[in-house]
Amino acid sequence: MKMVLAGAPPSDTDGERALLRRARAGDPAAFRRLFERHAPGVWRFLRDLLRDEEAADEATQETFVRAHGRLQALRDEERLGAWLLGIARLVYLESRRSRGVQVDVEAEEHAREVEAVLPTPSPEDLLLDRELEGLLTQALGTLREERRAALLLRIDHGLPYEEIASVMGWSLQKVKNEIHRARLSLREQLSAHMGGSRP
Amino acid sequence: MSACRENELDALLAGELSDEDAARVRAHAEGCAACRHALTWLRMERGWMAQRARRTPSRPALDFAALEARLAATAEPSVVPHRAPHESPWRGWRTMLMGAMATMACFGLGLVRSGPTTNAEEPWGAEVLVAASGEACEDAAAALEARVGACLIATPGLALRN
Ligand SMILES: [Zn+2]
Repeated sequence: MKMVLAGAPPSDTDGERALLRRARAGDPAAFRRLFERHAPGVWRFLRDLLRDEEAADEATQETFVRAHGRLQALRDEERLGAWLLGIARLVYLESRRSRGVQVDVEAEEHAREVEAVLPTPSPEDLLLDRELEGLLTQALGTLREERRAALLLRIDHGLPYEEIASVMGWSLQKVKNEIHRARLSLREQLSAHMGGSRP
Repeated sequence: MSACRENELDALLAGELSDEDAARVRAHAEGCAACRHALTWLRMERGWMAQRARRTPSRPALDFAALEARLAATAEPSVVPHRAPHESPWRGWRTMLMGAMATMACFGLGLVRSGPTTNAEEPWGAEVLVAASGEACEDAAAALEARVGACLIATPGLALRN
């Protein structure tokens, strides 16, 4: 039942640990490999938080400049992917402050228990066509920033709940609750588009 | 469906559960309409996100050369960023490291964390009761569900497609 997730973030294999060791020792080729592995995910995370591709370009570069300078501070037990996304989030928060963007200006999603009335998706709903992708992005955009970040760390970047707690500075319980609510909100917003059966 | 129950189903799909836990969750889900319903959504969400990730556009920021140029500029901010072709772009490593550390230190001080966002008016229902018991909520949820003989969310008449 184990599901391999294509497009998921690279896992921290022995290969990655070795690359990391070399990068820390000052090997630019190793750092480049790590950059090429992780930059697309970091960019996507920032694009989803900033909702602006050019701002995400800038923030991605800034994230890796900082990561490069802080590589020695990465603890052995920390996973590079989670660590980079943590830096990206800080860069995002800083950029938002400097642009004077108000926190949570977007409409707060209705946090309701809606599951009972959601349709069960049908197999054809699995295809993310352009229209659905647009709706998904729109639905993500309605989530409060922190909730969106936590959800994406899980469903896009595959971080374990414990690592999300560490990145967000939350308790494990809060992580679970926020992600659950974010999921319900997405489902509610997308269910109108689904062709599946309704209870 | 409690957050904890959904979290377990999600962990099952992610292959994060031990064999024993996976077998337990799977066996429960087989006989539970609400869990099967949640699993369908979770699987779909994973599929969507994977498709979306594969469509990450190629962007200028994903070009390592751009980062190299920026690292060089960061390392020697007051110097014209010329360097001989054979010279390593990593020459300024130490300067850059110190600069970046200083930036991080300043930034760390300015970082504000927002407080808890719990809103008493939100209809959190049974979940809040379970959540209030803290991190061991799986057990609490499971115990509660065992007592009422069902998942916390009842979905009578839910039409399921398999
Ligand atoms: Zn169940």
